Amino acid sequence: MISFITNFTSAIESLAKVHRLLPWLIAYVLLLFLPNLITATFGEYYVDLANRCCLFILLAVGLNIVKGFCGQVTVGHIGLYAIGAVTSALLAQNYGLPFWLSAPLAILVTCFAGLVVGLPSVRLEGAYLALATLGLGESVRIMIAVTPALGSSTGIMMIPAPTIGDYVIESFDHYFYLVMTAAIIGIYFSFVILNSSTGRAFKAIREDVIAASVSGINVPFYKLLAFVISAIYAGLAGALFAHMPPGYLHHNNFTVIEMVTLLLMVVLGGIGNIWGGVVGAIVVTVIYDQTKDYYFYQPLIFGITMVFLVVFMPRGIGGVIEQAIVKRKFIEKHEEQNLGTS
Amino acid sequence: MRNWTKFLAGLAAGGFVLSATAALADEIRVGITMRMVSENGQKYGQMVMDEIGLINEAGGINGHQIKATLMNDECKSDKGVANANKLIFQEKVHLLIGSTCSSVSLPIVDVTAKAQVPQIIPHSTNAQITQKGSAWVFRVPVSGRFYAGVNAKYVGENIGKKIAYICAADAASQNDCDAMQAQMKSQHGTDPAYVAQVQEKEVDFRTHMQKIKSAGVDGIMVAALAETMSRALIQSYEAGIGSDVRRIGSSSASNAPVPKISGDAVKGVFYAAAYSNADTRPIAKLFNQMVKDRYGIHAPDHDFSQAYDLIRIVEIALNNSDLKLTNSSLAADRTAIRDAIANVKNYQGLASGPISFCADATPQCRDGNKTPVLIAYKKGGEEFETEVLARVSMPEDFGL
Amino acid sequence: MDFDFGSLLAFIIFGVTIGVVYGIVALGISLIYSGLDIVHFAHGEIYMFGAFLGLVLSQQIGIPYPGAMIGAMVLAALLGMFIERVFYRRLTRSGGGYTVAGMGMIICGFGMSVALMNVAFLIWGADAEPFPVEFGIEPLEINDISIPPSYLLTAVVSLCLMGILNYFLRYTKIGLAVRAVAHNKDIAFLMGINVPLFISLIFGLACALAAAAGVLVGPMQSVQVEMGYLMLMKAFAAAVVGGFGSLPGALIGGILVGIFENLGAAYISASHKDIYAFLLLILVLMYRPAGLFGVVAKVKA
Repeated sequence: MISFITNFTSAIESLAKVHRLLPWLIAYVLLLFLPNLITATFGEYYVDLANRCCLFILLAVGLNIVKGFCGQVTVGHIGLYAIGAVTSALLAQNYGLPFWLSAPLAILVTCFAGLVVGLPSVRLEGAYLALATLGLGESVRIMIAVTPALGSSTGIMMIPAPTIGDYVIESFDHYFYLVMTAAIIGIYFSFVILNSSTGRAFKAIREDVIAASVSGINVPFYKLLAFVISAIYAGLAGALFAHMPPGYLHHNNFTVIEMVTLLLMVVLGGIGNIWGGVVGAIVVTVIYDQTKDYYFYQPLIFGITMVFLVVFMPRGIGGVIEQAIVKRKFIEKHEEQNLGTS
Repeated sequence: MRNWTKFLAGLAAGGFVLSATAALADEIRVGITMRMVSENGQKYGQMVMDEIGLINEAGGINGHQIKATLMNDECKSDKGVANANKLIFQEKVHLLIGSTCSSVSLPIVDVTAKAQVPQIIPHSTNAQITQKGSAWVFRVPVSGRFYAGVNAKYVGENIGKKIAYICAADAASQNDCDAMQAQMKSQHGTDPAYVAQVQEKEVDFRTHMQKIKSAGVDGIMVAALAETMSRALIQSYEAGIGSDVRRIGSSSASNAPVPKISGDAVKGVFYAAAYSNADTRPIAKLFNQMVKDRYGIHAPDHDFSQAYDLIRIVEIALNNSDLKLTNSSLAADRTAIRDAIANVKNYQGLASGPISFCADATPQCRDGNKTPVLIAYKKGGEEFETEVLARVSMPEDFGL
Repeated sequence: MDFDFGSLLAFIIFGVTIGVVYGIVALGISLIYSGLDIVHFAHGEIYMFGAFLGLVLSQQIGIPYPGAMIGAMVLAALLGMFIERVFYRRLTRSGGGYTVAGMGMIICGFGMSVALMNVAFLIWGADAEPFPVEFGIEPLEINDISIPPSYLLTAVVSLCLMGILNYFLRYTKIGLAVRAVAHNKDIAFLMGINVPLFISLIFGLACALAAAAGVLVGPMQSVQVEMGYLMLMKAFAAAVVGGFGSLPGALIGGILVGIFENLGAAYISASHKDIYAFLLLILVLMYRPAGLFGVVAKVKA
């Protein structure tokens, strides 16, 4: 397994030397055939599941930026997701905007919301920040639940699906192209951010705020930036969720339970590990779906998994694999050296 | 490298097993999605499965067995939609039963309309479900619009016109509350004396009770889910509002937790529902006894009776439909079942009036049961007692 | 409609009676924060467990209400100590508060909260259970306002618990040790205090307080698996308003949150009731993170 991953990454690195976008393009083209593959082997329903996986990948990757890169403990991410979803839905329904307009506007609104959620981070840290963001996230849900214009108890119904010309994107596999594209772009930009100076500033803040500020990093600015970037991801995921057929939004899709599930994805994949977040999102969504018949024990096992992960495997799947790769490289290098000397 | 190929092989094998089990010919596939969290939810989900099992034991439908798949939606719309998608596209069901929550049934109506699968609703009262114009949806319970009419008539004639409202923010209660206010306005021309919109799971009603007490009203309507309603009822007495002020419940007052939690505070509370366990017809007595013996429930509420009626209607419709039950005839079978349900006329069961459907995709046709019963609690606690105040069959386009 | 001062008084009394309950849960959260340097996100579930344990002890086993309350407190304390010893200890050992382990602690708390809630769900089911208690006192009538005995009792018991805790922490030797541990673990350890034991004790104490709150609220609002989450949020708000680590602050914070939300529900909008507590929490966090009575928050260096 590990050897496969190292071989795989080295193959990708050699591809990236040709052009840095080449591996992404190849992955994208391959993924375009995924719905056909899934329908042939598992059935049509699993394309729908793949769509939901993509939404959660976007959310998890976005959450990873603020939580994993920048080290800010936010528990209000699901509120941003809700804001993106409701804004896009309302714009499409009340003003007849097409998805291609309502989604960017929704992302813009979510950015502002992300700024608001991020504001406490300027003054607060750790547990205090978690409390403040939890309060904000839950306030968003309550506002949606009690305001008739935002859907309240009956929810927002019949949100139109995205259209291209006269064609309506509503079948599972066509919607997959939409969400998968969004997810791939999301993952790509997450890597871009991580490897940029912004990403390094985030990491410096995560490791030591005081040291970071001494090194000339504008800490409040970068903290807010992390929140805004993660809000873009959440807003996009929200808009895609709102317009996904049957186009229905209800406030009970944005509760703390969903937030905990999202946390579990990030923790399972490994905090701060991009591919880990992707794997976590897929694993959690698929397992959750496949074990539906055991609904009695499902949440219990989820809770226990989370506790055990944090206690015994704090770096998640991604962290474990990363460590194994590093170890292997170290051993190989050592063996080469031994061969060279003897 | 080898592990990876093993993994892929396993994946492919798993896929094969899955696709092999998905479509078995010669059986009628029924998918059910319900809220299986509360004790009552679990028990009547169980009752639906048991009743289907009994049909199968008795030889099935025209020699075909029914394969029922029961799923839990936790009363969450995204889970309900995922369940519906799974049942329709993976299990390839001929008929979908669900859901019990209005906020889950609402989106599923769109899913079944698009996929062209008949959907029959066991227990969602929100009036908008049948107003969406789907040709594939049928409702066995009484729509919220009928409940309000009966309640308003009784309140205006027997209690008074100064009514305070406490409305919780869930789909069914909000609908009940709004419809009741509209009916009080149109029947008696009165505006509400006091309206409090509270949260779905509110625990503390004392500020509202204090205000209602000083407003001096004839009646208080509490529209909320069972636990929330019970707390409001208890706190209304604690606040010193006497029993001369009548308490009116929304349809969820019929759920067993209400008398259990409220105890004596439930006495005198009346509400409109689809079924009363105080019903004296022989069929109702048999049903009460059956539920008591099988599930240990003191008295079935209308969730049980509606689930039971639903299975009987499904049985009648399936018996009357000409099904091929091959893989290629799935769409035709689904249409046949829909048409057969639409042809069910004057079904006499536990519901107080006849249940009839018709072919048009209108609420007049698809709200099958038009006869609410007005019920009052005589005694609270686990061994609660109720009495029937009135039975009213409403005109089919009432409240539209 | 002219302004009715009688009603205003009533709303404030309602706020105070529920506020003291927020206060005792907040006290537990505050204690854990000062003792272990962590914020315990599963405290709401301990409160729920306490309520259910009290219900079982008094209704099924038949112990009188005060006994049931003490029993529930002891059992919840044991449960809390078990959780702390087995799970949290591994995390807090590598440092709490603002470190990376602190983030792990928050996530662990959420996981524990989900797990505990579903253990309770498997034992007691999702339905609300009534918790009828005969207090044998008449409701207190002030003008037009009637205060049921359960609320009176809650207020009295809460204040007593606070008083006992205050006495315990200030005037007993063990209390002194607890305070020493809360203030500085390393120095306390050098002074010969068994710090790991006292951390468990602090955690158990906090859980006992939450259980007491649960048993007090049970008769007022019935007992349900989901009751913990909302109480946790209100108690957090109370602890933040009063200032983490301040005992009288927690009580006053609880009462403030209670009054604030009741007045908001009465005069602004009842459907936004839970938002008022969050609003207070966020405002205080933004403008006075140390709370109204708290000491200045520790800064990592």
